[in-house]
Amino acid sequence: MLELHHVAPIVHKTVVIKYHKLTMGSHKAWDGTLSSDDFYIAAKALCERWKEINSSLPQWTWIPSKREEGYLSLENVYHLDPNVDTTGEQGFSVEEEQEEQEEPADCATLVRCSHKDTHVYNFHIVYSFSYRVPVLYFRGYRCDGQPLDMHGGIKEDLDYSPSLLEEPKWTFMTQEEHPFLHCPWYMLHPCGTSEWMKLFLGPNQQDFVIFKYLASWLSVAGQAVGLRIPLNLHTEDVKKYASSINDGEVE
Amino acid sequence: MASSSSSHQGEILKFAPLQSLVDAGFWRRFSSLKLDTLRIDQSPINITGFYAPCSNTEISNHLTLLSESLSPEPSEQSPEVEFRRGNRNRCPVPGILYNTNTLESFRALDKKNLLTMEAKKIFEDICSGKVEEDSAVLSRFLLISFADLKKWSFRYWFAFPALVLDPPATILDLKPASNMLNVEEAESLAAACNEWRNSSLTTGMPFFLVTISSSSHATIRPLKDWKVCQGNDQKLLFGFYDPCHRPKNPGWPLRNFFAFICLRWKLEKIRFLCYREKHGLADMESSLIGEALISLPQEWRDPQCIPKAVGWETNIEGKLSSRIISLAESMDPERLAVSAADLNLKLMRWRQLPSLNLDALSSVKCLLLGAGTLGCQVARMLMAWGVRKITLLDSGRVAMSNPVRQSLYTFQDSLSGGSLKAHAAVKNLKGIFPAVEAEGIDLSIPMPGHPVPAQEVDRVLEDCKSLQKLITAHDVIFLLTDTRESRWFPTLLCANENKIAITAALGFDSYLVMRHGAGPINSTLNNNDHSSITVNEAAQMGTLSTKDADGSCRLGCYFCSDVVAPIDSTSNRSLDQQCTVTRPGLAPIASALAVELLVGILHHPNRINAPGEIANSIIGSSEQPLGILPHQIRGSISQFSQLTLLGYSSSSCTACSSAVVSEYRSRGMEFILQAINHPTYLEDLTGLTELMKSASTFQLDWDDGTDEDADF
Repeated sequence: MLELHHVAPIVHKTVVIKYHKLTMGSHKAWDGTLSSDDFYIAAKALCERWKEINSSLPQWTWIPSKREEGYLSLENVYHLDPNVDTTGEQGFSVEEEQEEQEEPADCATLVRCSHKDTHVYNFHIVYSFSYRVPVLYFRGYRCDGQPLDMHGGIKEDLDYSPSLLEEPKWTFMTQEEHPFLHCPWYMLHPCGTSEWMKLFLGPNQQDFVIFKYLASWLSVAGQAVGLRIPLNLHTEDVKKYASSINDGEVE
Repeated sequence: MASSSSSHQGEILKFAPLQSLVDAGFWRRFSSLKLDTLRIDQSPINITGFYAPCSNTEISNHLTLLSESLSPEPSEQSPEVEFRRGNRNRCPVPGILYNTNTLESFRALDKKNLLTMEAKKIFEDICSGKVEEDSAVLSRFLLISFADLKKWSFRYWFAFPALVLDPPATILDLKPASNMLNVEEAESLAAACNEWRNSSLTTGMPFFLVTISSSSHATIRPLKDWKVCQGNDQKLLFGFYDPCHRPKNPGWPLRNFFAFICLRWKLEKIRFLCYREKHGLADMESSLIGEALISLPQEWRDPQCIPKAVGWETNIEGKLSSRIISLAESMDPERLAVSAADLNLKLMRWRQLPSLNLDALSSVKCLLLGAGTLGCQVARMLMAWGVRKITLLDSGRVAMSNPVRQSLYTFQDSLSGGSLKAHAAVKNLKGIFPAVEAEGIDLSIPMPGHPVPAQEVDRVLEDCKSLQKLITAHDVIFLLTDTRESRWFPTLLCANENKIAITAALGFDSYLVMRHGAGPINSTLNNNDHSSITVNEAAQMGTLSTKDADGSCRLGCYFCSDVVAPIDSTSNRSLDQQCTVTRPGLAPIASALAVELLVGILHHPNRINAPGEIANSIIGSSEQPLGILPHQIRGSISQFSQLTLLGYSSSSCTACSSAVVSEYRSRGMEFILQAINHPTYLEDLTGLTELMKSASTFQLDWDDGTDEDADF
């Protein structure tokens, strides 16, 4: 995170210019996709923006990997459900018969009197080279580490956006191998991403698209997985980056 | 909670137990370690747990096991060394793992003794001074487990040994640090803590000493600098990374810190700092400063003593019991294969076919009669469409010539006389997709024109009954045998039970794929048209129908356009006759069409009664998302052409006419035997004999069969 903070402002201007040459130079209409270099810049922009708005959520962190690739990570997003009793939820019977044991009474141990079922979520934004768009990977687990699946937990946690879940068009969730961690994570399939990003950002706003991209994308994709995106994440940035781009073009 | 809700002087200090969290990655890594390296070795192995100060006002930080908790080489000692420097959110804590090979031995572990052993290590590390060098050993933990690698389930139990002070520590005061310090002190302490936490040299030291000078300047030092901290007028705080979030209780690590302080430094009045964070920075609101009275237990004066300890973790319901975690969903390769296969179909539904009914496909039970070139290919296509329940029937064995054309078999299957096709096909289907519910039936289909010797009658009747039961038990029957006559009895059974039947047949360079229409009897009744006529009544009243429920004509079956009864196909009449010599491309084409036809039927609201449609020259004219639902598809490779055809049921059909079906209903197997032994009986029964007499020059083969198709 610290490293990000130092690097990001410098990267901005230089790459904006480069981006203009590369993408604006070609007279084709923008197709809603990003190059992997753009993704890196967009990722840094998101981190910085996220920090600025001081979300109550944890911070996005760029996790570097070999070959100059990497992904964005947001870990330990808690979902608390105060009135959930998880007994037996996982579908196996806990045979406790011979196992419960007596421990010597100890008056210095705080005995939990209520149990809140906490679900923990991790979110990763990974660049898809085949679709040329960001892909949201996520996983959830109970506070003891038991992974949540679609039927056992995740659907319930998403209950405040049921109408969105009804529309499979862009909330398409599936379990896939995480490209960096090589174990199954849930993901929102990127099939339709470029199309709705094109609609969302429009062909005329290409100037700042790279900085707005992830914030705009996340405001849609995040909602689908119950990640509450602060409203002001993508409202201010156009003005802010407009000036920096103008500066860049003058040079 | 209630008893400690206020920090009244003299009350017993209650510590919030540490909670464990085992990342799925730990179990995944442990599974491969167990399978590849440890095998049946049950020796304890060193592991490393990670924790950090609490950073959430509602949730305590957990002691977490990650895949990195296991050292790369289990034989190496002290894996914690490599984590010493680095991640501020992963303060390493040494632990030991006892994994047993059976549930019984898991239960038989002497938990009391194991806990005591670890407590003893802590006690010794205190006495020896090791704690001053490496304070994390104060939080040493213990894990016992039984890894059921067949079910991908893991039973485990943590213990966080705490040396029990007797008498227990009592509170003098406990408040948020911001209340206990003046503004300058709080600011200085926060700055010092942030520096400590952000330095890779110190961030891995969860216990430390804080001094605050009279000029409100806070300094943090490691435990080994104890001597420097004494004297002067400065305030001394014993600080630790507190994983607990509770405003009135310190977390578990403080217990052994107390034990250390009273054993090693002989103090009885201790001021402590429960260090907690917010947004990655020191938070003096949630951090606590307290004062407690402790006294050294008498028996601890003996360095050989066995200290009393507690610390077994409760399960998620709060009971002292083991926990179970199930990772089948993310570890079982078969489940992963299922979700991956489903993905393609789901994507298809998303992108192209929102109405695609995957449940209908995965639940439909298909019976494939014949497991040759067609059967193999149909089975593969069915799997590709998400069909899971497939039964293959064949009495043959895999011959050396088969594997190159019959896509489910390999050279191995053809060795030693050849495996039974029914069994080899199932084995290989499961090899392709383990979740397929495939079954193989070794059975030969009774055929007209193949007279049954007297001694064989019982066996043939048995086969007939088996086939009948199989057809009853399935929803869709594919007729994929290599002779025409072997399709007769299954066609009759399907007509009788109103089952969806799909035929694929091959010539040398031509093919026929068709779906049979509804049966003559059930078609009106299955459609809820408020008919009060029962099957038997209908049969008795002779109202067996060639019409569909909606009054349109029934579609024909494979035999409807024939004017001869099925006989031994040495005679020169049928398309099938040349089937053993076909161009290799035909079977995959015809099989694929047969399966696509089924998918169309399953998605049509009228299913088996769906009217036959003819390909239209206007592209995309169909209203159905899957396109038209034809009755017959005939194709020729020599012309690279394909036609859709429509043919209605014939009242003289030898397989699906009401005369034949009602005869079968009333006479059962006796009728079947007669038909098998005397095929002309069928022609007599259906009036074909008459028909042929009247039109002796009429001959039909499929090339000019289009002439009689209505609506074309």
